[in-house]
Amino acid sequence: MDVGLFGQYVANGLMLGVIYAMVAVGFTLFFGVLDVIKFSHGDVLTAGAFAGLATYGGLQALGFASPAVQLLIMLLVAVAAMAFLGALIAKYLVLPLRTAPPLNTLLLTLMLGAALRECVRLFYPQGANPKPFPRLLPQDAVALGSFMLRLDNALLLLGGLAAIAAVHFVITRTKLGLAIRAVAQDAETARIMGIDFERVVLLTFALGSGLAALAGIMNGLYYSEINFSIGLLLGVIGFSAAVVGGLGNIYGAILGGFLFAGLQTAGAVLLPALLPQLPSAYKDVFAFAAVIAFMAWRPTGLIAEKTAERV
Amino acid sequence: MSALPGIASIAAMALYAAFFLHAESQAQVLGLVALAVVGVPVLARVGWIARTATSLEAHPLAARSASVAALAATIALFHDQHFVMLMLASVALYSVACLGLTLQFGYAGVVNFAGAAFLGVGGYTSAVLGPHVPHALVLLIGGLLAALVGSILILPILRTRGHYAALITVAFGILFRSFVEVNDALGGPQGLQVKGMNLFGWELNSPLRDLSFYANYVFVGLALAAAAFVLVRRLERSWVGLNLDAVRLDETAAAVFGIDVARWKILAFTCGNFFTGIAGAAYAMMTGFVAPNSFTFGDSLILVSIVLLGGLGSAWGVPLAAGIVLIVPEKLQALQEYRFLLYAMLVIVILLARPQGLIARPAREYFPK
Amino acid sequence: MSEALLCCSGLSVRFGGLVALDALDLEVGSGAILGLIGPNGSGKTTLFNVITGVYRAAGGRAQFSGQDLAGMTPQRIYAAGVTRTFQRSRLALPLSVFDNVMIGNHRRLHHGLWFNLFRRSELRREFESNLAKARALVATFSARLAGRMFDAAGAFSMIDRRRIEICRALVSEPRLLLLDEPSAGMTHEETRELMDDLLAVRSRLPGLSIVIIEHEMNVIERVCERCAVLNYGRKIAEGSYAQVAADRQVQIAYLGTE
Repeated sequence: MDVGLFGQYVANGLMLGVIYAMVAVGFTLFFGVLDVIKFSHGDVLTAGAFAGLATYGGLQALGFASPAVQLLIMLLVAVAAMAFLGALIAKYLVLPLRTAPPLNTLLLTLMLGAALRECVRLFYPQGANPKPFPRLLPQDAVALGSFMLRLDNALLLLGGLAAIAAVHFVITRTKLGLAIRAVAQDAETARIMGIDFERVVLLTFALGSGLAALAGIMNGLYYSEINFSIGLLLGVIGFSAAVVGGLGNIYGAILGGFLFAGLQTAGAVLLPALLPQLPSAYKDVFAFAAVIAFMAWRPTGLIAEKTAERV
Repeated sequence: MSALPGIASIAAMALYAAFFLHAESQAQVLGLVALAVVGVPVLARVGWIARTATSLEAHPLAARSASVAALAATIALFHDQHFVMLMLASVALYSVACLGLTLQFGYAGVVNFAGAAFLGVGGYTSAVLGPHVPHALVLLIGGLLAALVGSILILPILRTRGHYAALITVAFGILFRSFVEVNDALGGPQGLQVKGMNLFGWELNSPLRDLSFYANYVFVGLALAAAAFVLVRRLERSWVGLNLDAVRLDETAAAVFGIDVARWKILAFTCGNFFTGIAGAAYAMMTGFVAPNSFTFGDSLILVSIVLLGGLGSAWGVPLAAGIVLIVPEKLQALQEYRFLLYAMLVIVILLARPQGLIARPAREYFPK
Repeated sequence: MSEALLCCSGLSVRFGGLVALDALDLEVGSGAILGLIGPNGSGKTTLFNVITGVYRAAGGRAQFSGQDLAGMTPQRIYAAGVTRTFQRSRLALPLSVFDNVMIGNHRRLHHGLWFNLFRRSELRREFESNLAKARALVATFSARLAGRMFDAAGAFSMIDRRRIEICRALVSEPRLLLLDEPSAGMTHEETRELMDDLLAVRSRLPGLSIVIIEHEMNVIERVCERCAVLNYGRKIAEGSYAQVAADRQVQIAYLGTE
């Protein structure tokens, strides 16, 4: 294989990895503080991407033409809106079910995801069709040997890594992060120590959901197209990545995200090479088969889950 | 307690259903929906629903006869209308599938968000085997294949709990749809034609006298639903039902008292998929085609909505909820487009406000009077 | 002395780096009542979890009437005649009192699918005889409770739930009963009542051995012939209550004085 093509695959895999990792970090944060899986997380990402697109439309109409300004405002609006939405979901839908059987939370967030997806499909103008996403990053490319490094991809990759690093910084170095970790360790004790449990949960959901909005916009910029169902797939893959890394573990989530992207990219390259007669359309089938197989092999992830059951 | 309140309620429900199915204009339909939304809580407030329930429990024979009579009257009234008969048959077949789901997560607590995929296994079985194999056998094979395909998921489901098992079934549901969509032998995105059902020489697609041909499917659907209902009921009212409940409520405590958690989860998951597969096979023969778009994640969520709306683990809730979920959007065209959204919101409201569903599952009575 | 029913030797359990049980030796004779005491986190509940197969031992062995418990599933250990209650009540709250007691009677019931679905008249006979048996057992603890066998367990007070839990553990007539802090969350009066009832049941089951974890020393003093004291996963004393209470090491463990 020539170096240029190989570089292209690596760049592709890294890009996917950073998006998956961002989604997985959200799952892992929510699980950490509340021991719940928020299945609507992927659809919050979709909503974030569409919020960004709507903001772009508004800015165009108002006559702001500078791509940098447009992108900045889009990011601010989408991240803030989804952070707010995330906190609302936590306050009115997830926290009230704390004492109910865990199955109820699971069902509720699944249905919430479906509702968000349907809202985008039904109420966004022509939401059922794929929408072109504006190319707001410089499209120039730098030639590295036979590999063309596109500037926008490099910027996206750096932006994603910076976002993850920022979340990591918040978790490990700030007072909020300390509170989040305390609640994740033992909610009851944290409460006794004077930590405002509800506030920490809401902020955690805001943080994770804001990150999802960012991932949604990055996904749009990368593929130059979004549709109402991207979140379902990204949600399932992001959750799988979080599980692969071991739920509740932020490093695990990042590792899981890149691992999954690596597997998928390798699959896309190797499958046609190994089984040339197999249509490439089977790659989704294999991706999900891999998820199921992995869960059978390592049900609690590569890095074990934070708590053992108390009997 | 006399049997009168129970019989009166069944008659009133049948009458309401008849008016609803008969209503032509959107205004009439909306009026009827509003009547139910306002009327049912009022009846509950004045204690009528509780009286109905005790009355029906005290007189099971009267309850059963009245239900059968109400159903027969509805069929007689609408016997030549394709739409109504199609709806009734669909409700019956969806009830079979949802009774399967009730076994899985109503009793054993094994979540399954790939219900539509198992309907699909049954449906594609009908499409492929329909022309070659007697159809009674096709139904059976449809169920068996669904159970067999489901067994791929047993190992990961047994090794995980709650959220993880949910993810596995979500992934499987999406996998199944992608698979049939890209598989040319199964018709790809266009799907396949399915032959109408022929049971021991009885062509269901040729109408009896002036009945709609769908009436034939109503009879078959009701027979399957009745069988599924009786089986699920008996299972619940036995030591097996107790074991399933124990596994759902506390796996560790169940294991400490000798209950083989894996065995009962496998039993519930396999039987549930068997039911769903049979329902899918019959449904495909009725509609005459199968296509990947009928087996999406959204369709799986519809099955889940029915089970939750009816009341988790409540056998009577299933047909009632299936009726509401399937028929209301068909009658209210304005809602057609929004139906997935409405179901999703309906379930969210149910979970927050009335987690026990429309008809709460009653405490187990092994041998009711 | 007769052959020990339960015999642990050098039993160890570790969670990561934490040693929960450290080379524990313990014997419980047939028909004996052993009190197990010690500060929180001293490994008492861990011992129950190992005996019932919920946790695996890292070293040493535990034998129940000659059978090695290592490698046995919780299901097989139950079938061999070991039952327990839990520190934090683990009843199936939405299920009826009868259902909860029957969960404990698993090894006496028929679980075949065919039997349960289609041989309803035989099932009915089995149901009726078990209902009578469960009712009689529950009635020794509380006649009122026995009159409400088909009410949900969640509808009852703490003491009634404890009674149901003990009935669940007793109904299969086990040979070894493990009680994990039966007095937790109850008043002295309620605890006394519960212990009286338990002793009444035991007088009808002479072969039954009991190990009881307890913080209420008067319960231990009244009920147990012998007790063992654990601290940091080690047994630091064993003997009659009077002997143990006088033990210097035990006083240090409990009071933390030098």
